[in-house]
Amino acid sequence: MRRQPMDLIQGTLDVLVLRTLLAGPMHGYAVSRWIRERTDGMLAIEDAPLYKALHRLERAGWVDAEWGLSENNRRARYYRLTSRGRQRLRSEESSWRRYVEAVFKVLEPG
Amino acid sequence: MQRLPGSLRRTARDIGRDVEDELRFHLDARTESLIAEGLSVEAARAQALREFGDIEDAKAFMAALDRATERSRRRRNYMGEFRQDITYALRKLRSSPVFAITAIVTLALGIGANTAIFSLVRGVLLRPLPFPDPGQLYRVYSASPAQGNPRTPVSSPDMEDWRAQRQQLADVAGYWYAEGGSGVDLTGSGEPQRLSAAFVTAGFFGVLGLPAQEGRLPREDELVRGGPDHVVVLAYGFWQRQFGGSRSVIGTTLTLDDAPFEVLGVMPPSFAYPSPQVDVYMAYSAIPDESIPHIRPVRILAGIARGRPGVSIEMARTELNTIAQRLARQYPENESYTGATVEPLQDSITGPVRAGLLVLLGAVAFVLLMASVNVASLLLARATMRGREIATRVALGAGRLRIVRQLVTESVVLALIGGAAGIGVAAGLLRGLLWLSADQLPRGSDVRLDGGVLMFTAGISVVTGLLFGLVPALRAASQNVQGTLREGGRGLAGGEGRRLRNALVIAEVALAAILVVAAGLMSRSFIALLDVDPGFKPDNLLAVNFTINTARHSSGFATYYGQVLDRVRSGPGVVTAGAVKDAPFRGEGERWSYTTPGRPLGAGEEPPSAMVLHVSDGYFRTIGARIVDGREFTEQDRANAPLGVLVNEALARAGFPDGRAVGSFIDLDGDHVPIVGVVGDIRQSAIEQVATPTIYVNNFQNTRVKVTLVARTRGEPLLLLRQIRDAIWAIDADQTITSVFTYDDIVSDALARPRLLTVLLGSFGVLGLLLGAVGIYGVLGYVVTQRHREIGVRMALGARPRSVLRMIVGSGLALATTGLTIGLVGSLALSRYLRGILFGIEPTDPLTFATVAFVLLCVAALASWLPARRAASVDPVEALHYD
Repeated sequence: MRRQPMDLIQGTLDVLVLRTLLAGPMHGYAVSRWIRERTDGMLAIEDAPLYKALHRLERAGWVDAEWGLSENNRRARYYRLTSRGRQRLRSEESSWRRYVEAVFKVLEPG
Repeated sequence: MQRLPGSLRRTARDIGRDVEDELRFHLDARTESLIAEGLSVEAARAQALREFGDIEDAKAFMAALDRATERSRRRRNYMGEFRQDITYALRKLRSSPVFAITAIVTLALGIGANTAIFSLVRGVLLRPLPFPDPGQLYRVYSASPAQGNPRTPVSSPDMEDWRAQRQQLADVAGYWYAEGGSGVDLTGSGEPQRLSAAFVTAGFFGVLGLPAQEGRLPREDELVRGGPDHVVVLAYGFWQRQFGGSRSVIGTTLTLDDAPFEVLGVMPPSFAYPSPQVDVYMAYSAIPDESIPHIRPVRILAGIARGRPGVSIEMARTELNTIAQRLARQYPENESYTGATVEPLQDSITGPVRAGLLVLLGAVAFVLLMASVNVASLLLARATMRGREIATRVALGAGRLRIVRQLVTESVVLALIGGAAGIGVAAGLLRGLLWLSADQLPRGSDVRLDGGVLMFTAGISVVTGLLFGLVPALRAASQNVQGTLREGGRGLAGGEGRRLRNALVIAEVALAAILVVAAGLMSRSFIALLDVDPGFKPDNLLAVNFTINTARHSSGFATYYGQVLDRVRSGPGVVTAGAVKDAPFRGEGERWSYTTPGRPLGAGEEPPSAMVLHVSDGYFRTIGARIVDGREFTEQDRANAPLGVLVNEALARAGFPDGRAVGSFIDLDGDHVPIVGVVGDIRQSAIEQVATPTIYVNNFQNTRVKVTLVARTRGEPLLLLRQIRDAIWAIDADQTITSVFTYDDIVSDALARPRLLTVLLGSFGVLGLLLGAVGIYGVLGYVVTQRHREIGVRMALGARPRSVLRMIVGSGLALATTGLTIGLVGSLALSRYLRGILFGIEPTDPLTFATVAFVLLCVAALASWLPARRAASVDPVEALHYD
């Protein structure tokens, strides 16, 4: 039986988007597909918050956006990680790891 | 991925469209992919939308964020360009150091001079007095319209009545302070010394409104007659000097004029009223009646008042006038004192220097304008040379606005560097100014280069930069690109450029003319002042000012006074010696009413008043005054001799229109006194002021404790100071000395303010002349370079060097004449502002105007001749090959 998808913890989406863009510049649709494939549909992610996140990250200067042509020659908005975005991702990632480790220390006491 | 050129600036509409496009792309892509998985078109579309979530909310959110992102991007771009412009400007300036240094020095002089004068004006005129609500503070006087005397001091009984009957005024008070006059002897703590005291009435501290810094202020009852008024408040400077700022002095007792006074408190350093020279504040009521009687005819108090909040100066005026009229009806002594004069305290402090400072401010602004015009014409010439660079940038796609911004940034950077250098100039200038002003500038201690002044400097630098940068920048940016590139970069050589340059030269000469006229008038006025015969010979005159202690010498006053005089006279090096109560320009004596038989009073006519000065025998001989008729006091006129007075020529003229004054009698305060001599007029109150009727009373017969002992010396007067002091101390070892000065100092101090004005206006005039000459020289030099080829052709066609010389000098003089005409007309228009600072000369003095015209034309001719000579030596062959 298929398990019910989990809701996203606040702030998780930003780090997922940043991590996704580490692979290279991509448009919003590609980011959406990439995250869905990686999570096997385990996280309930709508596209609306995803796009909000992309624009929020642009405002914060962690990603740059630029119009470009898609694989099938259509006009699409491409997002690219900035160097400040990379730094941000590193620090978010490590705090996530610490968070998860701390949770697991409780769940699986040595 | 292939990049599309994004538009430079996104509008709100662009952003909305972009958001729509981005989401449409997403939905289309998802729908297509779902169709490929086998869904129907409708089902695919529906699922894509479902997966997306709230699309309208997302759109609004994204658009709002993007607008904010766009705004900050623009700001960043702008700052980036700005930084670029500044870097570029600095590089450009470094690459042409001669231009940069010329411009910066010119601007530094202009801005520096403005900064210095502005800080002077700010400190003296603009900065509010250091008291709470300074706008409510007034200076008040008794007024006697009948005697034509709107400003006389107030008597202490009048002041008490004013205070008791006031309603609109929060408080009104009086003080008696006279530099070198009001003071007390401090004994019993170290060497005896003379302290400068302000004697104040109740309400004085309340009017000014500052609390004591240490200790407390006197209570009401400690400042009124019959109260425990043997109290003293110390001025901050004296407290520091005498007691090292120790708090333990509060509550102790000081011996002042041989009586004990309790120290109540210390005023803050900002409380420098009425003068920074004040050492102690004491109760006016503590002055014994024997020294200064507390009666209505003794008008001695300077009045100050504070209006209640919301009470206008007119209301204060009305109130005091009403009270004064009431007192005039009530007391016969006040009969003619039917009014009161009220003016803002700040104006009364700064009044004497206001006109001069404002003229300076105007003049220095003109200097800056000239500096701007000079730099503008430098920039114009430079823009021509940079024509190619600019044309290239325009051709490469830089917008005109962008070019103008770049050029204006350059000039503002230039002006700011000039301004920064100007601060150094200002600091030096200011030190010189304060030194030149010799403490004759009220509130001189409030003058400094502070944050406010630096803001002013930054402000005028930016404005100056815009002023001289904008026109050349606009012209440079609007030139014909292709033409310029073809011509080899001579963009502005045409008619319009020439007209602009000519206009700049004319403006410069006009400004210079106004400055030089002001300088010329001021110099002539100063010379007139130097030519004034003060009525005495100031060289080799030493003055020692002291006050005789009434308690110690109450009985033998005349004996003591005579002994001191005799002792000083017998010293080697002393030619003659005498004494007077107030030295010229250091006090006005007293005002008494008199009548003479030559001018009997009409019915109900007020008796005229004259200045009365108390002098010793030998005073006039000592200071070198002329005895016109009769004789001066001699040693035989001392104590028990019959009364007699001397009068000056002004009084002899007024009181004895058709007879000899000597041998006649004059009625003084009820005494019928013979006149023994007439003295040539001596300027007493100020060097600018013609002597008024004056009566000289023998100090042996009508004594005053304030003494200015004068000695004419052989050789340097100050060398005799020790000897004279020892002579005084040989008679009374506890005699304190208030001050020592030479009569040369007196005259020099009296001339300090006009000298300051003359020096400043003179230097502004010279600066104006220089800037004007440089301007003419620069422009003509440029024209000669530009017309090199044309001149070559003329000479090849047979023009002689002389005629070329004449042509160039002629064009320079033509410009100068136009500018001069405008400048002289401008000077006439501005002349009324100068009237208040000039002495003995009209602000429209034709001789000055003619001289200025001549000098300016000479300078213009010289400035034109140098480039003209270069033109006349053009080699036609070389010129025709030159390009």
